[in-house]
Amino acid sequence: MLKVDKTVKKETTYIAISSVIMSLFMQSVFLILGFWDYTVLLGNLWGVFAAVLNFFLMGITVQKALNKDKKQAQSMVRASQAGRMFMLFCFVLVGVLVDAFNIYAVLISLLFPRIWIFMRPLLDKKSDDKG
Amino acid sequence: MELAIGIILGCCALGAGVAMVAGIGPGIGEGNAVAKACEAIGRQPECKGDVTTTMLMGCAIAETTGLYALVIAILLIFVAPKQFVNILLDSLK
Repeated sequence: MLKVDKTVKKETTYIAISSVIMSLFMQSVFLILGFWDYTVLLGNLWGVFAAVLNFFLMGITVQKALNKDKKQAQSMVRASQAGRMFMLFCFVLVGVLVDAFNIYAVLISLLFPRIWIFMRPLLDKKSDDKG
Repeated sequence: MELAIGIILGCCALGAGVAMVAGIGPGIGEGNAVAKACEAIGRQPECKGDVTTTMLMGCAIAETTGLYALVIAILLIFVAPKQFVNILLDSLK
């Protein structure tokens, strides 16, 4: 069985926690705007699950690729990216076609890791300043 | 009327297809980043942890371009046609 690298575990946990925080924020925005119902919650959970799974699989791919030579690593990451994109497409398709999910909640949730990674240097800088 | 609706649906499908062209870029970019990271770790094996963390974040950011394309394509296929047809029908009333 594949042993998951501790860096991958740490970063995936970080992304998962940050996605939950962003989800709470999104839910409160929907609630304030008066659009909230159970489909928003389910769509949000579905989208966050897809985004975190995608990040974790990317981490696993990177971990495996680092032990290979340059050419093999390159082709492995390209194949993995195509596979993960297809997986995300399937997740989004289910999110769109099943009425129990709010399409906007699913799509916005997929972008949470990117938003948090963008904010990360700002947060790290603040904690450095305090320390 | 049918022709107008057909053009709307066709253009939405065409737009979704064109948007997905952006899905090619992240794969190439990530591949190059990982290849360079392999080189870097080969040169300095003690930096493996730092390189992996930085590269994971870089790959996640690179992949967002493809994700944006996917989101746009999905919206063009499933949401936009209904909206455009409604706008067309409203304008004809």
